[in-house]
This record gives sequence, structure tokens and C-alpha cells, in this order.
Amino acid sequence: MKLWVYIVRRLLLFIPTLIGLTFIVFVLSHSGGTNLVLAEYVNPRLTGEARTLLIQKLTEEFHLNQPIYIQYFYWLYQIMQGNWGYTNTPIFSGSVVTAIELFLPNTAMIAAVASILIWVIGVPLGVYSAVNRDSATDQVVRVGSFSLYAMPIYLIAVALILAVGVYLKILPFAGVVNPLLVSNLSWYHNGISYPTHIILIDAILHNNWQVAWNAFLHLLLPSLTLALATVASIIRILRASMLEVLDQDYIRLAWSKGISAKLVYNLHARRNALLPLLTLFGLTVAFLLGGAVVIETVFSYPGIGYWTTQALLNNDVGGIMASTLLFGLILVSANLILDIAYAFVDPRIRY
Amino acid sequence: MQQETAEAGRWENLKLSISVFMANKSAVVGLIIVLVYLIDALIMQFDPMLLGIHHPDVLVPNFLNPVPLPPSPQHILGTTYPGIDLLTSILKAIRIDLAYSFFVVAVGASVGAVIGIVSAWASGMFDEVIMRITDIVFSIPYLILALAVGFILGRSLWHMSIALAITWWPLYARYARSQTLSTKEYTFIEAAKAAGVGRTTIMFRHILPNVLPPIFIQISLDLGSIMVIFSTLAFIGFIPSANIPELGYLTSLGLNFVQTAPWALIFPGLFITIFALAVNLLGDGLRDVIDPRRRG
Repeated sequence: MKLWVYIVRRLLLFIPTLIGLTFIVFVLSHSGGTNLVLAEYVNPRLTGEARTLLIQKLTEEFHLNQPIYIQYFYWLYQIMQGNWGYTNTPIFSGSVVTAIELFLPNTAMIAAVASILIWVIGVPLGVYSAVNRDSATDQVVRVGSFSLYAMPIYLIAVALILAVGVYLKILPFAGVVNPLLVSNLSWYHNGISYPTHIILIDAILHNNWQVAWNAFLHLLLPSLTLALATVASIIRILRASMLEVLDQDYIRLAWSKGISAKLVYNLHARRNALLPLLTLFGLTVAFLLGGAVVIETVFSYPGIGYWTTQALLNNDVGGIMASTLLFGLILVSANLILDIAYAFVDPRIRY
Repeated sequence: MQQETAEAGRWENLKLSISVFMANKSAVVGLIIVLVYLIDALIMQFDPMLLGIHHPDVLVPNFLNPVPLPPSPQHILGTTYPGIDLLTSILKAIRIDLAYSFFVVAVGASVGAVIGIVSAWASGMFDEVIMRITDIVFSIPYLILALAVGFILGRSLWHMSIALAITWWPLYARYARSQTLSTKEYTFIEAAKAAGVGRTTIMFRHILPNVLPPIFIQISLDLGSIMVIFSTLAFIGFIPSANIPELGYLTSLGLNFVQTAPWALIFPGLFITIFALAVNLLGDGLRDVIDPRRRG
């Protein structure tokens, strides 16, 4: 099969998945017996006649007097128009799309820093532990990754807070920035920084290095937690696949040609051992997203995850449904990209 | 006569399995820890007074002295906010966590296994549709899906476990499906078909027994992860403030005292981690027993 045929086929498969995903969210918002679409789209601050008028308008727009399976398509149409409803939580109240604009960059930032940390921590440890199999370091790495794997994420967060934040007092562990530093800035209002909404980048853009440094410190602990929670499975899989690769004939050939150990490990073995990790990437995205919910809650870090738990605690339909849809969309797209990337790297996949 | 040798063979087999399992020291440790948790849960269920506990279903707050106290002879593991004794609460919580995790795994595994086996056996269009559905459920991070389902059902322990079971069955469906697909190719299935055995009989008498052992291992491994996720959901606020002894909820009670009372966070968390570790060790040992290639 040609590569483009594979990509087209994969893209076509993407459509039923999207329909299924939106359908699940739609069914969820109807399964309580009551139609939650109204609750999702009516701005809770609206009262009196304006509210009645809005409800009338929504009933017309969403065709709420028609059967449910027809309503689904009208709902889908509104979603595709970017009309995702309203959210009302203590940290943000207003349209869902604005909420996503404000919170998603922060989550993306944590995930990005965490991914870098995962590679920096995971790959060397995994390779080292496979190369020096059964050495003392290998044992420590194995026990460590095994325990991290078993620990709930919030416990990793709590352990880091206790060790680094409370005892050593070197890193802050709540919020995105020290509020005293940003109280008089022109580009920071009500906990929202402009223009990118990631305070670290905004501070750099405005040449305010003191705030940037502080924001960077605030970013470290949540990202490190996320990285540690994910890195355990990376190390385990990398170690296993590295051991498998090291046992293969072409590695033995490389040894017998007299190639130095460094080259054998870094050039010949590691590249092939990294392939299974690509598959794991999809899983990692899922894990990063799920982990972000917990970690942002523990660190009160205003990202999508924190917003989701706030929505749960405040019975906010709009927030919950929108974040379910958003998380699903991110994960589905990540898997799509992964599959295509994998087909590029490994031609066997296409068949 | 033949019956007897078969019986003896089975006995030999069991003895070999036990010795393989016993040779794996960490698996034995895992088994012992899991048994301790189970015994604690049973005591809490049937005779909590044995450990001097009066109310196994609720936390007993002490509003006269709500600030967490460090470990002392009266409170061996200290107390958490509001004046709740940690040791007794953890003992109570283990029962609730174990029971609900069992429920989630049992429902998820049985629904998933049935769907997986039927789907692999039926193949064709039905199989395709089922696998697409599992794909779609997989496309939502389970924590988020559980949050959404739980939100619709209302926040409570039961709804939390139902939500988790709903997010968990596709995993087992895929697992059972792949097991069935490989079992289907064996000669003895061919032979059964040739002998004219009915489809349902083949499915339940010949395929099911071969699919179940790996699923049981998956169950034993999952029990730990489910308990972790269960407590995570409770930790981020799934249980509305109620006096329910649950390990994640107990941890969250101590969250505001992270600077002054670290024990209120460490101990409940430690008990979850130890259980999850023990379950993983146990699962590894069981896998050694079932996988013939890993038998010495």
C-alpha cells in the first residue's frame, strides 16, 4: 500500500471516531433524564425576560422539540460553529470557548515541559539500566519505576510538595506566579495574562524577567510531577525493548566488527529500541491529559484540568461536557498523528 | 484408570504451579500483603469490634480538637482534620476501597469478556462495530469519562464505581477478543467443529476456559490500578463532603495541612501505594505460573 493511501484510509477512519465521540458526549448530556443542553447554553447570570427569550431562541436553534436523534445533528452543527455553551465556575464564568482559550495554553505548557523532562529522565535511565543489567543502579531504577508506576499521581505530587516545597523550600507549589509580583502590570488582569495567556511567555515578551523567572519556578513542580508519573512506564518499556534489541544478531555483528561500546549502544541499539516508545506516545498523551486534571487540582494551576474539576464541584454542565469533548478531540488527533508518523517510520505498518 | 492418571496429572500440575509461584519471593510478599488487606476488610465487615472500632461505615470526627495531631500512643498514626484518628479510619477505608474496586473490576471484566469473546467469535460486521466502539471509548481519557459519567449520575461512591466500570470494559473486551482469536485457530476447536459440537457449546466449554486465565491475571493487576483511580477520583472531590472512610478522601482532608501535618497525607497515600505495589507483584507471580515459557 502506498503511504498516501494509508493516510487517506486512516483519515476516513477518523470520521466515525469523531462522530462516536461527539455522540457519547451528546448522549451523556441527555442520559440524566433531563435535557442538559439548555443548562449548558444558558448563561446562568441571565435572569427574567431575557432568560425566557434566550431559552426560546435556543429551543429553536437546537430544535429541542424534535426527536433526540435529530437534535444530535443540530447540536453537532452548533459545536462545529464553535458554539460550545457556557461555563460557570469560581475560576471562570463565561463562554466555554473563551475558557478553553484561557486554560488550554497553561495545560499545554505543563505537558510540554513534562514531555521534555520525560525524555531527559526516561531515555538515559532506561538505556543505562538495560545496558548495565542487574547492576545496583539497574535494581534501583527498576524498584523506583515500579513504585512510581503503582503510586497515585496525587501522591507523587504530595511527596514532591513535601520534599521540595515544604522542607527544602526551594520551589513554590501553588498557582502560576507570585501574585505580589504581578499586581501592577499592564498586561495582567484578574489572573489572566495577555496576549498568549501563558504567563511565562508573556513575561518574556514584555521583557519582565523577574516575573518570567518566578513563573518558571511555579511551572517546575507540576511538570515534574506529571513527568515522574509518566516516566515509570517509559523506563520499563524502553528497558525491555533495549534488552531485546541487544540480543539480536546485528548487534553481535557490530560487536564482532570491533565497534566501540558507545557506538553500539547509542547508534545501533538505541534507535531500534526507541521504536516501541512511539506506540507508547499515544498512551502518554492520554496519561498526560488525565494526569493534568489531578496535578492542576493539587497545585491550583489554572489549566483545563483544574477548570474540569471546578466544573464538577460546582455542577457546571457546560464545563464538564466541553472538557470531555476537548480531551477526546486532543487524544483522537494525537492518535491520528501518531499512526501516520508510525507509517512513515516503519513501512511494515502500512500493510 | 485413565480418569485416575488425569487426576494425578492435574495434581502434579497444581504442585508445579505452586512451586513456581513460591520461587518468586516478591510475588509471595505481594500475596501476603493482599491477604492482610483482605483480612482487614473481612474483619471490618463482620466484626469490627475485634479491633475496637464502633462505626466501620463512617469517619468519627472530633470537632473539639480538629487540628491534626502527630502520631502518639493514643493515635498511632496521628489524626487528620477534623480530629479523625488516622489508623482506625484507614482500617475502615480499606474495606470500602477494596469492595468498590472489586465491584468495578468484576463488572468491567465480565461485561468486557463476554463482549470480546462474542465479538471475536461472531467476526465480520458485528466485530468491526464493537471494536470501533471500544476505540471511541478509549479515545476519551478514562479519568475524564469517569468524571463526566459520574457528573451525570450524581456524585456518590456507587456512581463513581459505575462510571469506572463503564470506562473499563473496553479494555477487557479487547483483551478477551485477542485471546479468543488466537484460541480459535487451535486444532482442538477445529476438531470440536468437525465433531459437530454446537457454536454456543464451543464458545463456553472450549474457548472460555482458555480465555479466562489471562483475563484473571489482568483482573488481579487491575485491582491495584482501579483502587488508585478510585482514590484519585475521591481525592479530586468526587465524594461530596461526607464522612465516608475512603483512602483518597482521607488524603484530601490533610491537603490544607501539608506544611504542618505531613503525616495526614503520607499515611493514607502509603496504604494505597503498598496495595497497588503488592497487587502488581502478585500479578507478576501469577503470570509466571500461567505462562508455560516462564516455567522452569
